[in-house]
Amino acid sequence: MFEVFEHTADVGLRIRAADLNTLFAEAGRALFSLIVENLDAVRPATEVTFHLQGQDLEYLLFDWLNELLYCFETQHLVFSQFKVDVTPTGLAAVARGERFDPARHQPDHEVKAITYHGLRVKQEEHGWLAEVIVDI
Amino acid sequence: MTKGVFQGPLLRVNDYLWRIPRSYKPGMRVDGLIYADDYLIEQIRNDQAPEQVANVAFLPGIQYASLAMPDIHWGYGFCIGGVCATDPEEGGVISPGGVGYDINCGVRLVRSNLHLRDVQPHLKTLIEELFRQVPTGVGRTGKYHFDRHELRKLLAEGPRALKERGLVTDADLEHTEARGKLEGADPDLVSDRALERGSEQCGTLGSGNHFLEVQVVDDVFDEEAARVMGLEKDMVCVMIHSGSRGLGYQVCDDALHMLRNVPQKYGIELPDRQLACAPVNSPEGQRYIGAMRAAANFAWCNRQLLMWQAREVFSTVFGKPWQELQMNLVYDVCHNIAKFEEHSIGGKRRKVWVHRKGATRAFPPGHPEVPACYREIGQPVIIPGDMGRASWVLVGQAGSMEQTFGTTCHGAGRALSRTAAVQASKGRRIDQELASRGIVARARSWKGLAEEQPEAYKDVDHVVEVVHQAGISRKVARLRPIGVIKG
Repeated sequence: MFEVFEHTADVGLRIRAADLNTLFAEAGRALFSLIVENLDAVRPATEVTFHLQGQDLEYLLFDWLNELLYCFETQHLVFSQFKVDVTPTGLAAVARGERFDPARHQPDHEVKAITYHGLRVKQEEHGWLAEVIVDI
Repeated sequence: MTKGVFQGPLLRVNDYLWRIPRSYKPGMRVDGLIYADDYLIEQIRNDQAPEQVANVAFLPGIQYASLAMPDIHWGYGFCIGGVCATDPEEGGVISPGGVGYDINCGVRLVRSNLHLRDVQPHLKTLIEELFRQVPTGVGRTGKYHFDRHELRKLLAEGPRALKERGLVTDADLEHTEARGKLEGADPDLVSDRALERGSEQCGTLGSGNHFLEVQVVDDVFDEEAARVMGLEKDMVCVMIHSGSRGLGYQVCDDALHMLRNVPQKYGIELPDRQLACAPVNSPEGQRYIGAMRAAANFAWCNRQLLMWQAREVFSTVFGKPWQELQMNLVYDVCHNIAKFEEHSIGGKRRKVWVHRKGATRAFPPGHPEVPACYREIGQPVIIPGDMGRASWVLVGQAGSMEQTFGTTCHGAGRALSRTAAVQASKGRRIDQELASRGIVARARSWKGLAEEQPEAYKDVDHVVEVVHQAGISRKVARLRPIGVIKG
């Protein structure tokens, strides 16, 4: 699950999940929920696989969201389903979605960038928490 | 990371200036100075922006003070509305966070010989046509296409590279800060990713707070300066607010990635990762500077093409060439930039890297970098407000060179967060509310409009009054919006 939290000029995303894989998958959904208002209208028609290296979980989350944003910006793909496998050395993931279609997808924000400001990934008593602020 | 009231010291210096002493936090190298009056300082206390002013004071080589303009609000790393100058001779650093993701985000103002009475009957058509022709919002690409070779030329040379296509005039260049070209831009330092993101986006507005507005000169405060700029009461103008689009965001992102371990490498201790920086005189610092300058040149091309499209639309709607409508560029300013400038510090002339993150250059009359036609009045400063109330034209004053490294404010500054603004707009139609005030607004996203509603911003008149009274810039004219297009 995820929620949006307050930041004066930009938007913060707070994601909670029982395990890391779900945390990263939910973070993907959180990002695209900012870009497309009706994320459920995004059909899983095409898929893209990702392989990222990195051991620092915060940087790994940053890189993962950044890759998704880059995919949207250059290929105009929006994703609604994610399967992520976080390993000790990085992650492997599959994102499913389709080409952005303004006729069916209600555009919401243009996300300029993922920021490092207040970026955190941490294990809590009952699962994982991540926070990331994106530049709007 | 939660929103909280600033608990640190804010000491009054005078009616328009407040100080955070360097003793507030160990590691601060200089004081923090915030321009505000009694009213604005209470709003400023309400979030972590003053803390960020204090954090910027940690940067190696910082001179005089970590400054903030009255439109200051909470950013990431640097506050928005922040200014700092670093001296490379004293180990000064360059920080991408001090420029922002949207490198050379800025504003330009175009005048016309049309008056409100000429435009009013066609206003709806005009705004509809602008909304159709000027690409706005998420995922929209531009009508101009540039191959890699051409794109690199735009990055190296700025809008003058558009001359071959007949999309820029000499007067446009003359009326653009730095004539639209930062020397030392190196397209080779811009990544393929950045080029890819930029190739389709030159001449697109984007979303968020970016806009194209049709405005009317509402009030003139300095007749002579207004005359020199070609502005008079009831005259219709176009204001454009956009930046370097995906290309610039990627350049910033690449730089922050490159800098992940660089502060440690040079023994720089920082209170926030987003303040990542490198000494100006380091390979990493030089890489960022070359790429940042290229992105800045690209941003000027973007605003040039946005203006060109607006001229074309006016031409169609009013049935006359834009030249006949005298749609001349008044001036174009950047408000997210770092520039190497000469300033007088402690009685000595020194060259410093002035970071302006949501702040505008405001050089006074007589400064050699002010275009000849404006040399007598000072550099025009364009201040976008909000889409319901006003925007401003100011000119730089001598006080800016004495107090703020030649800098003034850049806008109204947000008063509400985006989430709070959306919450406050539940059950309302912002476009209809604007229509009842005589403003035609079109946007791709209703939420975008809600987040940008006038009430989400501080009162720009108030912000401008502070910089006017502080003597860093002077009021010339107030503009009010009659039409707006957004992402």
